[in-house]
Amino acid sequence: MEPMLSVKNLTKRFGGLTAVNQVSMDVHPGEVVGLVGDNGAGKSTLIKMVSGVYQPNDGEIFFEGKRVHISKPSDARELGIETIYQDLALAGNLDVGANIFLGREHKRKYLGGVVRVLDNKFMQNQSEKLLDDLDVHIPSLMQKIDKLSGGQRQAVAIARALYWNARLMIMDEPTNNLGVAQQGEVLALIRRLRDQGVPVIVISHTIRDIFAVSDRIVVLHRGRKVADKRVAETSTEEIVQYIMGARDDFRNN
Amino acid sequence: MFKKLLLVAIVLALAIPLAVPATAQDDKPTIGFLPGVLDPFYQVMEIGVNAAAADFGVEVFLPQYPSTWGPSAQTPILEAMVARGDLDYIILAPVDKEQMIAPLQAAVDAGIKIITVDTFLGDGDYINGPVTFPISYIGSDNVEGGRIAGYALAERLGGKGKVYVQNTNVGVSTTEQRGQGFIEAISEFPDMELIGMDYNLDDASTSAAQTSAVIQREPELAGIFGVNVFSALGAGNAVKNAGLGGAIEVIAFDATKEAIENLNLGVVSMVIAQKPYDMGYLAVEFAFADWRGVTSLPRRVTTGYAVITAENVNDPEVARFIYQVP
Amino acid sequence: MTVDSRAEALPRRAVSRRVARQKQAILLVSRVWSWIFLAIMVVFFSIEGTGFFTVRNSQNILVAIVPVLLMGLGQTFVIIAAGIDLSVGWVMGLSSVVSALVIRDLADGGMAVGLAILIGFVAGVGSAALAGLLNGVIIAKLKVPPFIVTLGVSFIARGAAFLLSGGNVVGGQPQALRDLGNEALLYLQRGDETRLYFLKKPDVTGAQLRMLDRILPWPVVIAFVLVLIAMFILHRTQFGRHTYAIGGNKEATKRAGVPVDRLTILLYVMSAVTAGFAGVLYTARFSGGSSIAGDALMMSSIAAVIIGGVSMFGGEGRVSGTVLGALVIAVLQTGLIMMAVEPFWQYVIVGIIIILAVLMDQARDLIIGRAEAE
Repeated sequence: MEPMLSVKNLTKRFGGLTAVNQVSMDVHPGEVVGLVGDNGAGKSTLIKMVSGVYQPNDGEIFFEGKRVHISKPSDARELGIETIYQDLALAGNLDVGANIFLGREHKRKYLGGVVRVLDNKFMQNQSEKLLDDLDVHIPSLMQKIDKLSGGQRQAVAIARALYWNARLMIMDEPTNNLGVAQQGEVLALIRRLRDQGVPVIVISHTIRDIFAVSDRIVVLHRGRKVADKRVAETSTEEIVQYIMGARDDFRNN
Repeated sequence: MFKKLLLVAIVLALAIPLAVPATAQDDKPTIGFLPGVLDPFYQVMEIGVNAAAADFGVEVFLPQYPSTWGPSAQTPILEAMVARGDLDYIILAPVDKEQMIAPLQAAVDAGIKIITVDTFLGDGDYINGPVTFPISYIGSDNVEGGRIAGYALAERLGGKGKVYVQNTNVGVSTTEQRGQGFIEAISEFPDMELIGMDYNLDDASTSAAQTSAVIQREPELAGIFGVNVFSALGAGNAVKNAGLGGAIEVIAFDATKEAIENLNLGVVSMVIAQKPYDMGYLAVEFAFADWRGVTSLPRRVTTGYAVITAENVNDPEVARFIYQVP
Repeated sequence: MTVDSRAEALPRRAVSRRVARQKQAILLVSRVWSWIFLAIMVVFFSIEGTGFFTVRNSQNILVAIVPVLLMGLGQTFVIIAAGIDLSVGWVMGLSSVVSALVIRDLADGGMAVGLAILIGFVAGVGSAALAGLLNGVIIAKLKVPPFIVTLGVSFIARGAAFLLSGGNVVGGQPQALRDLGNEALLYLQRGDETRLYFLKKPDVTGAQLRMLDRILPWPVVIAFVLVLIAMFILHRTQFGRHTYAIGGNKEATKRAGVPVDRLTILLYVMSAVTAGFAGVLYTARFSGGSSIAGDALMMSSIAAVIIGGVSMFGGEGRVSGTVLGALVIAVLQTGLIMMAVEPFWQYVIVGIIIILAVLMDQARDLIIGRAEAE
């Protein structure tokens, strides 16, 4: 099966530091790829190149077989690459509908198009449907979302990405700061996304979570890819070794 | 929703004419007094006002001293006084001869009579001038006051030297005229040069700062005229701080404690005292007389000056004109 | 899968319920206390002050709030977006001077008075908008904190106003301008026959003139229209929604593709424009342009916004709150004059109210718990 996303020899330098060094990886449809590595391994920098925040110094990105240039975040979004960062990028003082439609609000026109008023009803209804599809239950959609739980806010962030026709979802530390029960819920959400045909790249420090949700694991160490294994073919201890740099499958690349 | 209703209710409540303004008693007038700003000059005026009120047995109501000099500060107080509904007369020192016309006209329309003290409206001629509604203008002849200062400075400087004026605002009749009178007097001395006139907006620190700057850039500065309380205060301080007390002649208008102190220190050589007590007292007396049906009140009363120098400052007949505020 | 909204439910239900009720109570009080305070003040002054509860005084209060309210409108938007505009007071002075100069020169030059006034107003508001543009561009593009930028621009505006006016009041204005600033929409003729006049001031004198009250002077009408427009923009348009979003989480809003820089510039232009309106209305009311027109008002505009419940942290607040705040300050000032209380009390009381407002704001903040930075 052709990969949906394919990066080849991606490199990023910041001054004298090489944060990402000739990394290649693929993500196939219907797949959850776990991206792990110690602090400073280059995980965040790698996905930021895919989501348009950084420009690679070297290497290429292919999306659905075609070479693409992602020079700003909106380029990535247009391709259907949606990134959910650790801070969720939600506005706590706005409600669910407002957040899901932030930046892309629906308006009704009056007076021959001169006056454009927010169509809150439409946005609320759509949000309700989206959350139902994800099987997420939030009792009042009119509340400001800083009153919701961590897991609910994650769900809103995911719902927003989905609404905008995400073809590929990238999630940076999705289970950080969540209670145990909520972590499980988020992982289930990720699996549901995959089942709906949206591949997911998950970055996490928590190896246990990675093993719970991923189909494949890619390990970065000091900017280089050192492992790319199917979950069934490896174990926690082995992955830890890759993370620490004790093992390296691509030493001579 | 509830909040919106509450807001509407309050706004409506404010607009409903539930109370007709109180009418005054017939045998005595109720008088309001509105000074220009809080300074010793107006405080002494208030003493005069209160003395007359006691003597005539009338009630004078002073709601507030405006916090700064300007229509924005004085007008709300004026309008509140009018809205009380119980005032027959308002004695006030208008803070701008043009901008206060509209609010005062509204007061007159509401049936209140106006007496202006210290500063005038329009051109001060209430008989033939553009503004005729006030009963009278009671104040110093400020052009003359400026001239007195000018001639005095010329005499002290021997008829030659560079001089500078600290003024307050343009558009305030009193201080404008003092500056005018001073310049007129100085112009009669060909060897004297006016190097500038700055406006401190009736703020002493601004006055001090401006004066200090001028002292710096004009080493030959020989004399300064401060046109009112704050101008003289600031100028005096600047000269003192520059260590030039006695080297630069300062003529100060308005006999505040600080001006007299400076006089005693030799920083200021002459203090021109107005007679705010007289202004206040006469204003109340005029209101009372008008109430009693007198129609021959003069439309213009010129109150005089007391010129205070180091020579006569201890003479009780002169010292009584120092602005003593209890 | 169900995400339970009481995911943080504690085993000790009774205690948490009582705490929750206390929190609700504090939240409710923090929202309505200004209203209650205003109502109490109105009642108190009506009883204790002479002439407080009259038509004339009510209109005086409405006129008094016009400049503070207008500047507060713009300030509301800016503060909701987590900024601040310290230049409003001196920009008002600039606008007052510019409009006066233009009106005087055009009218003297023979132009029709109505047109001269209109152009003068546009010029005044336009000069303010320039100041706002300067604010916005430096804040958005050069990333300098709003506090510093607006302070700096305010000095420039003041200097410009003084230079243009020569330190004087700009007089020589046509009578029509004075009428605009002081005439009203309605007149109430009290007396034997109580009548309401619409738009035209009845030509009466003497005793009848004394019993004539004006209702809704033009500046109040104009301010009212601007308030409605502001409410519409803030609560019903995309621009308003984005203003809240920027205040709530600027980074998130940027990532959502909202042109935050452009909006920021627009916000500061708006704020300056409202100050500009305040300036031209001052010129109309006092028939003269004055650089010091807005001097005392900058702090009052911020106070009005705070008292009205707009959070200084950004992200929260409504225009109606600012209207309320302006009313509270004006009612307080006027009431104290009516009661012949020393003016210094006014400062003390306003100061106490502001501190109370900020405390309420913080209490609200603690209870809700800002969770964006997670």
